Amino acid sequence: MSQLLRIENLSAAAEDKELLHGVSLTVPEGETHVVMGHNGAGKSTLGAVIMGSPEYRVTGGSIFFAGEDITSLPADKRARLGLFLSFQSPIEIPGITVSEFLRNALEQITGKRMKLWDFKKKLAAAMELLDMDKSYAERDLNVGFSGGEKKKAEILQLLILRPRLAILDETDSGLDVDAVKTVSKGIAEYLKNGGSLLIITHNTRLLESIKVDRTHIISDGRIAAEGDASLIDEVIENGFEKYTDRE
Amino acid sequence: MSGTKLNILPVPTFRWLGVNGAERDTDGLAAKELAIAAKPGEKRTSLLWIDSEGITDVKITVPEGAAVKLVEVFDVPGQAVSKVTAELGDSAAFELVQLYLGGDTVSEAVIGLNGRRSSFTADIGYMLGGQDKLDLNLIANHTGRKTLSQINAKGVLDGDAVKTFKGTIDFKNGASGAKGSEKEDVLLMSGSAVNKTVPLILCAEDDVEGSHGASIGRIDEREVFYMQTRGIPEEKICELAALGKLRQILSKIGDEDTVIRINKRLGRGEEDE
Amino acid sequence: MKEKTQVADVDRSRYDFRYAENEGDFLDSGITPDIIFEISEEKNDPDWMREFRLKSLEIYNRTPMVNWGPDTEGLDVDRIVTYIRQKNRMNTDWNDVPEDIKETFEKLGIPQAERESLAGVGAQYDSELVYHNVRKEVAESGVVYTDLESAMHDPKYAGLIKSHFMKLVPPTDHKFAALHGAVWSGGSFVYVPKNVHLDIPLQSYFRLNAKGAGQFEHTLIILEEGSYLHFIEGCSAPKYFEAALHAGCVELYVGKGAKLRYSTIENWSKNMYNLNTKRALVQENGQIEWVSGSFGSHVSYLYPMSILNGRGARAEFTGITFAGEGQNLDTGAKIVHNAPDTSSYMSTKSISKSGGVSTFRSAVVVNENAAGSKSSVNCESLMLDSISRSDTVPVMDIRTEKCDIGHEAKIGRISDETVFYLMSRGLSEEQARAMIVRGFADNVSKELPLEYAVEMNNLIGLEMQGSIG
Repeated sequence: MSQLLRIENLSAAAEDKELLHGVSLTVPEGETHVVMGHNGAGKSTLGAVIMGSPEYRVTGGSIFFAGEDITSLPADKRARLGLFLSFQSPIEIPGITVSEFLRNALEQITGKRMKLWDFKKKLAAAMELLDMDKSYAERDLNVGFSGGEKKKAEILQLLILRPRLAILDETDSGLDVDAVKTVSKGIAEYLKNGGSLLIITHNTRLLESIKVDRTHIISDGRIAAEGDASLIDEVIENGFEKYTDRE
Repeated sequence: MSGTKLNILPVPTFRWLGVNGAERDTDGLAAKELAIAAKPGEKRTSLLWIDSEGITDVKITVPEGAAVKLVEVFDVPGQAVSKVTAELGDSAAFELVQLYLGGDTVSEAVIGLNGRRSSFTADIGYMLGGQDKLDLNLIANHTGRKTLSQINAKGVLDGDAVKTFKGTIDFKNGASGAKGSEKEDVLLMSGSAVNKTVPLILCAEDDVEGSHGASIGRIDEREVFYMQTRGIPEEKICELAALGKLRQILSKIGDEDTVIRINKRLGRGEEDE
Repeated sequence: MKEKTQVADVDRSRYDFRYAENEGDFLDSGITPDIIFEISEEKNDPDWMREFRLKSLEIYNRTPMVNWGPDTEGLDVDRIVTYIRQKNRMNTDWNDVPEDIKETFEKLGIPQAERESLAGVGAQYDSELVYHNVRKEVAESGVVYTDLESAMHDPKYAGLIKSHFMKLVPPTDHKFAALHGAVWSGGSFVYVPKNVHLDIPLQSYFRLNAKGAGQFEHTLIILEEGSYLHFIEGCSAPKYFEAALHAGCVELYVGKGAKLRYSTIENWSKNMYNLNTKRALVQENGQIEWVSGSFGSHVSYLYPMSILNGRGARAEFTGITFAGEGQNLDTGAKIVHNAPDTSSYMSTKSISKSGGVSTFRSAVVVNENAAGSKSSVNCESLMLDSISRSDTVPVMDIRTEKCDIGHEAKIGRISDETVFYLMSRGLSEEQARAMIVRGFADNVSKELPLEYAVEMNNLIGLEMQGSIG
């Protein structure tokens, strides 16, 4: 299996504070990996740095995606290579509708402008799968959406854009039971079409219905432990304590 | 410069800022006068597409219980002067939607919120570039009790465009229970464009609530990053954001043909629909 | 019916006492070249300064009166006495200060403050500094704090003064800047050498005692690279019925990476026309912080200006204006972003009551060369009754696209719900309102040294007493 994402000894800082200290991690094509850890351990930072957020500065190491060094690429180039980030709290963009936004994004990523009719059909199908009201297509992106609707809108984008690797940052947080189910359904649909996943989470609700290949525990900006899916259960049982405060 | 001094700021300020008025030679300009007098309780909408040089002077009376909406689209290749005056009676409502797509315009609107519970909303949009100029002077005079005004301006400046937006909410003594708010949101896309934002609140009554806000500059960094993560490059993001600004005003027009015409004018027809 | 807030005039007895002037010490009122020659002679001006004064007078005579802002009709500059000679020379020992002047400042608490919490103090009585002193360790660090006249004659500083005096605020700036250039007298010169941090503030206190007089002190502060200073100025005057004029000038030069905090509590009496000009020039990564409380004066025009001239320079302005009966206070700030990555923050509050007029006026200019700049302005106004007035007149002039400019303003009155909430917790209505107004003003009070914050809260408390009608 080819290694889709390879992170080597990655360090990153926000302003003057280093938050990641030499993280290494690989995700082979088609696998589902989970990154777990405490609040503030560096999980979300890792996701944002992989995607190229301007809030962080890479201070060491490299990120390779599909064999290409993407460490200093802007986010849009990363997206066009097939990387996707589902945001923990997506921002609101007034004046741009969900439909228009996604059609533009899809055109950039595939290099083709889809016929409006075909695009609308594709969008409607994905929205139906996610139990989203059709009117959301013509609403401004995330504007006035509830927390749950915002998360669904992220998964909707995942289904339309079909990236090679999706990073899901706390996609399950703040969702009620039904919404978790719907979101899981969306993720399953994505995987069915051959996607790879890096799931960032601190609880396990989303993981119940997904087959996990590998688990990485992050603590204080470092990978503290790695293992297969069984590591998740161990963490649930014993907590993160044994991985913290290690020198 | 010769000419008439228009668009006078109700309370003048530091001269060196050049916002106290706008000089304009109006002698050579053809004047078009229009009166809109609604009947009590009547609801009506007027739509003006202004595409030739001249002065447009609209006088509006909105009597008790009536609601008037005026939509003006300015797409003048040269100089234009616009004036809107409205007098509102009890529970009267006046809605002003103005869109500026270019040219060199001096535009003023003076709204008299005289009647009790009368209300005024303004949605102003502009998309200016090249050598476009716009001087706007919007004044909401609250004299009636429990009157309401809401001014919302959004626009994009590119090229060497110069825009001054003066918005005044004036709570006169006696306008108790009045509320007024004002907001301008400006997207700057060029280092040689000039934006002047002048939001005044004048107040001679304690039982009022007034607020204004302005946000000027580039697109929010987080917004850029979000769109980038979906594969959209920066130039395209600017284009989308600019359109997004205007779209928020277009949605207030309420007339589909006009919106299609504006989209066409902006080169944004839905090509394959 | 709505409850109306009736507020009694402030008890100014602490400020309103006065002492007799000595006749014969006054120069004639009005301004002629002869008066300038006399002031110049009295001060033993160097030639350049005498010429500067005469040139300024010329500019004054041809500059029109300001044509915006509060009415200045009650001010007849020709009737203002521009210079009052002190019999005694400046002292550095408090015991040598003349008895009546000493008593004045003691009532105002100046020597006590010096003993407790200041690094140095200067006190000006009418036109001249009467007292100036700095702590020994401060003087040893190379910090200079003296009156401008002495510094002008000191070969070490004469050059500095000539190259900085009224360069930031030239006499051509406006009519009262020209007047200042012609008749200035007294004030302070502060020089802080490279990398010197003064941990305790310097203070100067201005007192205009004579009636129908003007005070035209000049404050010149130069901070070298990497230095820090907190400078406090206080002003007061007893109340007379004749108009008095304060046309001071403050010029602040903040070097690379230096930081200056400039705090003012202005409590001139209500016959004062306060037309003061303050300006700061800030170099690379330097910072200016203004803290400004305007309580007194009949008419004020006051807009401290910050020119951010070096990359990364920063300005902060925190102000409160309280306009009561008979007061028209036009205050605010100006900020010019003239270099990349500069930032500015403005937070102001204004309160209007008993027919007082307060106007917030601002200008934020971001020039083409200021890419990467940020500015945020926040102003709030409180109307305590419906016979007062409060206007907000901000201007933003933005000429680069690479910037983030935000502005927010609010106006209103004390909400009935808030008063009710506090009353439901056992406060009287008067206590509740005073508490709300104090809270409203806390953006300024929390920036002030403790004793000034206490003083400001007392002033507010006095204003709010008997406020329930």
